[in-house]
Amino acid sequence: MQLGPNNIASRAIADVITGPQSQQKPRRGGFGLNKVALTIVLIYLLVPLAATLVFGVAIGNGIDFSALKSTFTDPDLSTTLVFSLELALATTLLAVILVTPTAYWVQLRLPKARPLLDFLSLIPFAMPAIVLSVGLIEVYNGTNSPVINVLSLGIVPALANLKIVNTPPLLVCAYVIIALPFVYRPIDNSLRAINTTVLTEAAYSLGSGWWRTFLTIILPNIFPGVISAALLVFSTVMGEFTIASLFGLYTFPIYLNNTGQNDPHKAAILAVLSFIFTLLCVLGIILLVRIRRSATGQRGAQIEIAAAR
Amino acid sequence: MAFLELENISKYFGRNTAVDHIHLAVEHGEFLTLLGPSGCGKTTILRMVAGFEVPSEGYILLDGDDITQRAASKRPMGMVFQSYALFPHMTAEQNIAFGMNIKHVPRETIQKRCAELLELVGLGDKGRSYPHQLSGGQQQRVALARALAVEPKVLLLDEPLSALDAKVRVSLRNEIRRIQQQLKMTAIYVTHDQEEALAISDRIAVMAKGRIEQLDQPEEIYSNPRTVFAASFVGSSNQFSGKLESAAQGLCKAGSHLLHVPPTSSLKDGDAVLVLVRPEEVTLKEAEGQDDSDTNTTGNHIPGVIDLRTFLGPFTRFHIRTEQGDSLTADIPSQQARDNFVAQHVILSFAPEACQVLPIDSEEAKLVKQAEAEAV
Repeated sequence: MQLGPNNIASRAIADVITGPQSQQKPRRGGFGLNKVALTIVLIYLLVPLAATLVFGVAIGNGIDFSALKSTFTDPDLSTTLVFSLELALATTLLAVILVTPTAYWVQLRLPKARPLLDFLSLIPFAMPAIVLSVGLIEVYNGTNSPVINVLSLGIVPALANLKIVNTPPLLVCAYVIIALPFVYRPIDNSLRAINTTVLTEAAYSLGSGWWRTFLTIILPNIFPGVISAALLVFSTVMGEFTIASLFGLYTFPIYLNNTGQNDPHKAAILAVLSFIFTLLCVLGIILLVRIRRSATGQRGAQIEIAAAR
Repeated sequence: MAFLELENISKYFGRNTAVDHIHLAVEHGEFLTLLGPSGCGKTTILRMVAGFEVPSEGYILLDGDDITQRAASKRPMGMVFQSYALFPHMTAEQNIAFGMNIKHVPRETIQKRCAELLELVGLGDKGRSYPHQLSGGQQQRVALARALAVEPKVLLLDEPLSALDAKVRVSLRNEIRRIQQQLKMTAIYVTHDQEEALAISDRIAVMAKGRIEQLDQPEEIYSNPRTVFAASFVGSSNQFSGKLESAAQGLCKAGSHLLHVPPTSSLKDGDAVLVLVRPEEVTLKEAEGQDDSDTNTTGNHIPGVIDLRTFLGPFTRFHIRTEQGDSLTADIPSQQARDNFVAQHVILSFAPEACQVLPIDSEEAKLVKQAEAEAV
């Protein structure tokens, strides 16, 4: 379950912004069908947001900014927001660092294993988050199951001894699993688009080793795909509720939910703030990609949100 | 000992044999071409030399060193790929400098060498261009400069001109040859284009089914092919399959034709043979009003009717249907072909010396068909 408008916001924005090369210059003048469609989409996206904001500051027939003031003075806001940010950054980093070299290696050395990886990356879609969280808690709470011990090659009992159940590190690991489809798909698509094998062989023939080839040749060319993956992971974690709730950790979506139950005006303001915050993060990342792209003159690479879906 | 030696090299992919016990020796400064149809193993050999594939059997020796198991990044090879394989996020200059950066060459030297190499490949003003801002031919020139930048002991070229249009292909192949001779660099070139191979190489290895059919100089390969496959794959030819009536007298029975061929001692009477005649060795004469003395001379004279006339610039190609229903080809200099037209009755003539007689078995017959299919 994803709470808050973060996901919707980031995905919608990323859908709209698909890179400078793909955008055709609109003809000046006239009021074409495209502009009508764009206006309808903007109304569809902005009216609920505006209505939420109006509801947040409206008391009866008047406007009252006390809810806004109390939102900013609430110490839980910054605490949970920073905590969720930390979780999101840690998950994004871990997921990208784990998946990018793996996808490259599979593409290069084990192309026959790609269907297996495709299947594995889809499992999180099929598995409800509640099953994942209950399973994680069950496995890591110290229950000594010989089957799990053997299947995990002894890793689970070793980690269980560290008492990581219901802790942020285990939550990050769970988030990495949830985010797998979002991180694997864009990276895999980018790797397929750049003729990975030939570029790698060209680098090898010039004396480059595997890691140097990966970092200096492959990564810069799949950078938009990696950023796209990072964007999706980030927004997924910022809005994740179920697992955090079952872990008993106080994240921003849980704070949002609690506030909504006690003070709906404050919750509305928080929803708008959350949207603006995610919007700024996403725009920042997109700006980064564009600056980089115009610096390298690279063409054709687009943020592949659609592919990730 | 040769500069680069492939000793008894084989490569198996599962049950398929891609390369079958190859022996190959390349001399220093030599331009050797591996020529053959798709799937003959030529690219696999190149990839084994580059280090992208490990041979299933055999050894690769470079300047006396065994490099069979050495990683590709540790081999002193420069490679040019069919698809250019330029790094898209780097400028032409950065692409060329990549290999030198890895070798920690001083920055000033890199800059100097980049400029030299760009001049060498005729792209002095394109150093700051990205690959997508260059044409196919320019990209391949940058790829060549990049491969040369690391000062490789052997330059490997894997069908580098296949993706280019005909005119660029010809000019760039001449450039490659000029640069290779200028730098006295050992080069192995893979192609399925026989014209390209003949034009550019010191020696050609004609390959089929993972084996080398013939390894020789271009002139020898063309005018004196040792196997039926080599004869069929390189250049076009008229083929007559038949039996040797008299090896000593040079007589061969091919269908209803009795062909005069060069006498041979390596074959015996009754052997199944394939007689090949290059189209440019064939002359045409009008059938009506012919001088009998001409046809009585020792030589081959086959009557037929012109089916198709194709003007190809310096020469005109005629497809002639014989009385037996065979189709033969004659390439006549265009100046002399003005009086010949479609449906004209003609006599095809060729000297016995123009005939190449090669023994044929069922396996070779299959290869001939494969070569013909490839040519189509």
